[in-house]
Amino acid sequence: MERFEKFTTRFSNWLNWIAGIALVGMLGLTVVDIVGAKFFTWPVPGAVEVTGFLSVVAIAFAIAYTQVLHGHVRVEFFTMRASPRVQGIIGAIIWLLSFALFAVLAWQSYKFGRVLQISGEVSPTEEIPFYPFVYGIAFACIPVCLVLVVEFLKSVAMAVKR
Amino acid sequence: MSATVIGIIGIVVLLVVFFLGMPVGFTMALVGLVGFCYMVTPQAGLALLARDVWAQFSSYSLTVIPMFVFMGSIAFNSGMSQRLYDAGYSLFGRLRGGLAMTTVAACAGFAAICGSTNASAAAMGRIALPEMRRYHYDNALATGCVAASGSLGILIPPSVIFIVYGLLTEQSIGRLFIAGVFPGIILAALFMGVIYLICRRHPDFGPAGGPTTWKQKLTGISGVIEVLVLFCFVIGGLFLGWFSPTQAGGAGAAGTLIIGLARRHLSWKGFLSAVKDTLQITCMVLVIVAGALIFGHFIAITKIPMALAAWAGGLPIPAAAVMGLIVFIYLVGGCFIDALALIMLTIPIFFPVAMAVGFDPIWFGVIIVLVTQMGVITPPVGVNVYVVSGVAKDVPLETIFRGAMPFLVAIIIAVAILIAFPQIATFLPSLTMY
Repeated sequence: MERFEKFTTRFSNWLNWIAGIALVGMLGLTVVDIVGAKFFTWPVPGAVEVTGFLSVVAIAFAIAYTQVLHGHVRVEFFTMRASPRVQGIIGAIIWLLSFALFAVLAWQSYKFGRVLQISGEVSPTEEIPFYPFVYGIAFACIPVCLVLVVEFLKSVAMAVKR
Repeated sequence: MSATVIGIIGIVVLLVVFFLGMPVGFTMALVGLVGFCYMVTPQAGLALLARDVWAQFSSYSLTVIPMFVFMGSIAFNSGMSQRLYDAGYSLFGRLRGGLAMTTVAACAGFAAICGSTNASAAAMGRIALPEMRRYHYDNALATGCVAASGSLGILIPPSVIFIVYGLLTEQSIGRLFIAGVFPGIILAALFMGVIYLICRRHPDFGPAGGPTTWKQKLTGISGVIEVLVLFCFVIGGLFLGWFSPTQAGGAGAAGTLIIGLARRHLSWKGFLSAVKDTLQITCMVLVIVAGALIFGHFIAITKIPMALAAWAGGLPIPAAAVMGLIVFIYLVGGCFIDALALIMLTIPIFFPVAMAVGFDPIWFGVIIVLVTQMGVITPPVGVNVYVVSGVAKDVPLETIFRGAMPFLVAIIIAVAILIAFPQIATFLPSLTMY
């Protein structure tokens, strides 16, 4: 269990850094676009669509690590007062539901990506294909599911602990 | 079963799962997905999930959020909050309650470069609380004023809540930002008034600090000129239509980065910390936004918002009473639900109501931000109080909540002033070009 948790944390952290590179890229691109457009009347072609693609990477690849840090806002006020066993049971249910959500999202994003790949849909200005980024969302769901499995197992352990 | 009944069941299930502790964004997405599958077809619901998530994550208009969050994170990691505090101290330090007033002024200044309440409270808490302790300030006043002043972060532009409200209601983010300026100044003044009154009644609560020389005053103020320049550049650029909101955020983040590097106050470690903070805040917000979109699609097909708007529009009560009711719902809801989640959940329902009874959408946005500010300092789920509690670990939570209560009264007064004089919020936006 400990090794599995370590692995998921490292995997999530690794993807978080890729998200970080995308974020810094977004800032760099926006600045170059502003300078180009305001001082040289030469905005970066396709800046809007590339910023959108970088945003997909920055957000999707950070979901797992944000969950590792428990950064996704939740209302803990009511469950906090329950006994550890009840907290464990409730935790197991909510993390299982969350796992189901991201498993479905991974599956559906993969299907959606396939549709875009086959139809050959590309962005209007730079003609960048959409599908790799949609596959990216599907891939980013894998570490999220792993982190949620860790949360689920921890809750089960809490529920059955004597 | 009628669509409305299914919608109401969906909302009840959503609240139950919220309170069981499932992350807010996940809950909205899951309930919205199941509801949509039930109302239309499972295939349609499943396809909607992937398409909605893609649409939100790749949306250029939403990239304004990471840009402004990045700006605030860099400012925090490069010591701008300390310089703002020093400047405030040079002006108010020697007054009775002056250190608390300094905190309000510094928070208002920091709010001009940061768009979130908890970041402002965390930034200023670490600087202001040790100072107030050194001068033996009353714990409730010291912690309460930091928690409340931090909430100015979402009223004075830039503001994450204004951005989200603007995107949800298709209002101009530039106009919303500019609408928050005067109400923000008024609220900061009201907070200072509260501190003055408390210290007049209990002089020992806020002893005066040491005097400052003219040289110290000038040095203090010159240390924050950059914040003023940055604010004018970013918000002014948005006001005059030079920048799109994302460009304004990008320019602000780059400007803050340049200032941090030029002053040699931003280390590589600080920069990485700013990147990480930005990622985690942005990801949290965007997951909620995506979840809200999916839930919103489900609620839209149940036609609840339209039915509620038609019902409220036909009620034989004045519009102000409808506003009062909405404020009351936010006040109660804000006690239990996180501010952003509450806005995501309620705006799609209340905004059509507000339009039906004839409210100005920009003014309504400012009121919503003010009532959200109440939510961050009211028990039991006042986020800012928990943030301050993290800094002042030896002060009981009840003391911080008690200390924040007089400031809650100030926010209620600000809401009343804005209801009586909506021009305070609508005057500046009426001049904007963007």
